[in-house]
Amino acid sequence: MAVQEVRVMNLPQLGDSRGKSLLYEIRTALNITCINKVLTAKVYRLEGISAEDADFLARELLFEQVFQVYSVNEPIIKDSDELVEVAYKPGVMNPEVASILKAAADLGVTGLLAADSSHEYGFYGSFSKKELNKILSRLLVNETVERVIIEKPATLLIEGQAGSTEIVPIRFMDDELLMKLSKDKLFLNLEEMRTIAAYFKQIGRDPTDCEIETLAQTWSEHCGHKTFKSKLIVNGQTKQPLLKRLQESTANANHPLVLSAFKDNSGVIAFYDGLALCGKVETHNSPSAIEPYGGAMTGSGGVFRDIMGTGKGAKVIASTDMFCFAPPDTPQEDIPAGCLHPGYLFRRVVAGVRDYGNRMGIPTNNGSVHFHRDFRAKPTIIVGAYGIMPAGAAQKGSPLAGDIAVILGGRTGKDGIHGATFSSGEMTHRTMNVNSSAVQIGNAIEEKRLSDALLIARDEDLIRAITDCGAGGFASAFGEMGQDIGVEIQLDRAPLKYSGLAPWEIWLSESQERMALAVPPEKLDRLLQICRDHNVEATAIGKFTGSGKLEVFYGDKCVCNLDMDFLHNGLPNRTMIAKRKKLNRETKEPCCPAANWAAVCTEMMRHLNVCSKEPIVRVYDHGVQGSNVLPPFAGVTGKAPNDAVVLAPVLGKKYGAVIAHGMNPVLNTIDPYAGSIWAATEAVSNAVAVGANPDDLVLIDNFIWPYPDEESLYDLDRAVDACTDFVQATGMPFISGKDSLSSTYRSADGSVIKIPPVLCVSCFGRINDITTTISSDFKNVNGRIYLVGRRDIKQMGGSTYFDITDSFSPDVPLVDVKQFRQTIASLHQACTSGAVQSCHDISEGGLLAALAEMCFGGNMGISIDIPGDNRADYFLFNETAGCFIVELTSGANPEEVFKETRFLQLGHTTTQLDFTVNQDGKKLFEVNLGLLFEAWQKPMKEVFGA
Amino acid sequence: MKPRVCIIRTDGTNCDLETAYAFEKAGGNCALVHINQLRSGTEKLDDYQIMAIPGGFSYGDDIHSGKILSVELTSFLKEQLSKFVSDGKPVLGICNGFQVLVRTGLLPWNELGTIRATLMHNDSGHFECRWVSLLLEETNCIFTQGMGGILVEYQVAHGEGKFYASEQDLMEIEQSGQVVFRYADPVQQKQTMQYPHNPNGSLHAIAGICDMTGRVLGLMPHPERFVEFYHHPNWRRRKFSEPHGISLFRNAVNYAIKNL
Repeated sequence: MAVQEVRVMNLPQLGDSRGKSLLYEIRTALNITCINKVLTAKVYRLEGISAEDADFLARELLFEQVFQVYSVNEPIIKDSDELVEVAYKPGVMNPEVASILKAAADLGVTGLLAADSSHEYGFYGSFSKKELNKILSRLLVNETVERVIIEKPATLLIEGQAGSTEIVPIRFMDDELLMKLSKDKLFLNLEEMRTIAAYFKQIGRDPTDCEIETLAQTWSEHCGHKTFKSKLIVNGQTKQPLLKRLQESTANANHPLVLSAFKDNSGVIAFYDGLALCGKVETHNSPSAIEPYGGAMTGSGGVFRDIMGTGKGAKVIASTDMFCFAPPDTPQEDIPAGCLHPGYLFRRVVAGVRDYGNRMGIPTNNGSVHFHRDFRAKPTIIVGAYGIMPAGAAQKGSPLAGDIAVILGGRTGKDGIHGATFSSGEMTHRTMNVNSSAVQIGNAIEEKRLSDALLIARDEDLIRAITDCGAGGFASAFGEMGQDIGVEIQLDRAPLKYSGLAPWEIWLSESQERMALAVPPEKLDRLLQICRDHNVEATAIGKFTGSGKLEVFYGDKCVCNLDMDFLHNGLPNRTMIAKRKKLNRETKEPCCPAANWAAVCTEMMRHLNVCSKEPIVRVYDHGVQGSNVLPPFAGVTGKAPNDAVVLAPVLGKKYGAVIAHGMNPVLNTIDPYAGSIWAATEAVSNAVAVGANPDDLVLIDNFIWPYPDEESLYDLDRAVDACTDFVQATGMPFISGKDSLSSTYRSADGSVIKIPPVLCVSCFGRINDITTTISSDFKNVNGRIYLVGRRDIKQMGGSTYFDITDSFSPDVPLVDVKQFRQTIASLHQACTSGAVQSCHDISEGGLLAALAEMCFGGNMGISIDIPGDNRADYFLFNETAGCFIVELTSGANPEEVFKETRFLQLGHTTTQLDFTVNQDGKKLFEVNLGLLFEAWQKPMKEVFGA
Repeated sequence: MKPRVCIIRTDGTNCDLETAYAFEKAGGNCALVHINQLRSGTEKLDDYQIMAIPGGFSYGDDIHSGKILSVELTSFLKEQLSKFVSDGKPVLGICNGFQVLVRTGLLPWNELGTIRATLMHNDSGHFECRWVSLLLEETNCIFTQGMGGILVEYQVAHGEGKFYASEQDLMEIEQSGQVVFRYADPVQQKQTMQYPHNPNGSLHAIAGICDMTGRVLGLMPHPERFVEFYHHPNWRRRKFSEPHGISLFRNAVNYAIKNL
């Protein structure tokens, strides 16, 4: 039957907020002013029902008379100068469709075979075709997942012919043929290809495509972490593998809270009352670079599933997001070919994190955004998640022979096939009739009900082992779960989104919102019942065997039969060479400002790496779960940032969790060791500044690095040295981590852009009484303000101040970690003694930004005095991490409170809303805080139109 | 006996646990009831004295926020719902729950299946999470007895919260005293249309309304997110005699104890 079309739009007099937002973007992001109005309509396509039924569904479901109008099978925006409809490409999952089908069934409409929804945009004004195309390509249509509908589709149904299982004659391939096979889709090196060929020669047969693909994904950099596991020769000296060094430093720290480190989908520490906390931070750079909305969504969804799949299952209690982009106003001509504009990426990534976290009901309440021109070729997208579970369920489970292999959640489609092996950023092929892009649009509701069901199953002790289906899909999930005993999977039992998947595609598909479980046979029925009660599809697709083999069947045909031992231990060890590069940029220092202090301060506050990120935070629900006790922004007007988030995740209990992070890509480009120490110090400082006990904190690492050539590998080695040195000096271990080594862009002409190396250090821990935690806003007029911690203000390399003055120095802030440990111990003691009224750590923007933000929070001014032997600009703008601004209570004696660390009285707060700076008692300058506030708020307001 | 509170859940519901916590703290005895349990008959609304539809994103807020759940309620549970309301039992809808109450027609005039008011996309065009000040009207709403004229602070977290009804219906809602909460300027303490104090552009600054009986209340802000003093973003600089959200739940529980 024909496809019926229903169009719905707001009553003309009510305005159109979607259209208004788009118009704002057209004007600000594209600078196109000849469009004077945009109207939008929603288009629903319904296949298999009559026009009468479509009209019925329009009235009962799709349209609301109070504020809307609708049409059936005719246009609704009729007078626009151009009308464009944008829809998802066929095969890209549109999460709304399931709801349309469900509600239609609830309303008694039978026969609805398929549905879709899309948006129509009516543009008004006198504009050229070129301008319209610019709007479409830059703001509305991402060709990876979307298309402009020119002609009404004849059908919405997707069908295809299932491919068969191919045999790959690898035993008879010479080196050249082996590498040709690898280049096409496997991304393995010659030695690895030879090892595979040798294995099959030994067992006397050729592999199936399933087997080759399984090996390729298990041995991929993404899953196998080959660089982190390889032996290193650094400047001629042999060093242990990076991963081993990180894990050994954790083992040596022997932290009493750690329950599970580097073993599971996330790291776990003890909480209170027999509970445990877990944390995981992931990157999703490649998918987000090509489809930022879907990429960010599936990044969030994936890291949430890591938490859901930790131990016997955890509940997600927080989400974090850290991004790096090129400046949003980068001229289009500076964007490398094939890359999306950073302004578009930025807005769409934020929208993706928003829509997934909000819909899952997970508060997103810690994060940051960093800008650097060299992210123009690829953004860095980091998403974290934290969870809570009974400590008794915190250990990773091991399946027993006879346990049932069960899959839960979303159906399997051609989504993201080769996501694990696809690391070079190029898509080599697409399937014929279905868009098998590496990126999907996430379905948060699928994952929410999955989580609801899993938590009940965990509490009823139905789960022996659990993991999520991420990169590598079933192959990775069951390959790993069955590693020690073997597993047998019946692929034809997997529920599919549509027909037409070859066995290897089902096996490797990275469709979202799926979990893999090992369930004792006697508990299967109860698990299936819980899933039914929660509208979650659950299917037993195999069993754990004890054979030590990975056996996969499609019908009665065996499509994969690999020794687990070869799969997991057959990968040849690599040795990699790292060499130091020379920095050859000349030092150039700025002159100290003479008269224009106000202008310099304003420019500092307006800098993208300093300015307020409030408009982003406001679109995230950071209050859901009723757990937030220190929000990202607070203070008198709710506009002053705090350093970390504090949650009380068990309602009614006063113990809490703290989450913070630190990163500085700019410093890493100059000195990866100092930059990495800075990141770890900043992460911990953020947590301690809000009142966390340094003894109760652990760390998570994320290395996002250019492709490891000799120079980048040297930098990476230094960064890992920094991490292990930090652990040794502070006793805070890394308990989870991730590396992504593909931040290199190669253009068609061979030129290379190395994206700045990023080490993001996340820090989380427990707080025994959240009512002792501290916010950053100044509390009292005439409050005494101190600088606590050690810094060498000449270390200005990599600072915001050097950026705005076009200066350079290799002398970046190098934190003395031992002294830092002393500083935070003393600061924490001050906090618990009740002497600290407010506290904020120093980071980008230096003392100026930290003090100004505390003033914004308290709605008061400040007057400080710089000791005469200091260069005033360096004093104000130095960005050494591990230093704090502290407001003490009137009774507290600083000599007593900070006897174990360095401190300096800076000045006092004032009622007058000025930032006043004296040096040696003489006034240097004053600047109105209102001006600083406005400058600090402006950049993100412009991007988001808030 | 503690009154039994039925907290309705479905795919995508969140805020259910904190709503239950608020009711429990106020003296209620809560059960989280999945809509499937009501549809299958393993649970009956009749067994409860209070019903709450919590915030969140039922079914992803596809088509319209709260729409799919509203269709499910009016298609399968119409009689149970009607009886619950006509038995004089309190019904509370928070955020997504408010959207469901207007889309089922329970608000403003208990006309199941007829939509008379709506919650449109925010004027700002995006989701918004922030603390707002709310002015309480003097009404017969059982949830806010004794709170008329005072200013409370709750958090809002929604993308579709602009209250809209036709001019005539709006007038009727006003005249029958059904407006319970209005967004207010925290300094002037008066209702406001000014963003961000009025975060969504709601007509007449309406943040919450009740039915004629005062027993069905829907509001966009989240009272359940302020039932401990440390829930407030500025508890470190301000003292509260009581968290602003708790009295709403306590009034409902006390009403049930007294009348049901």
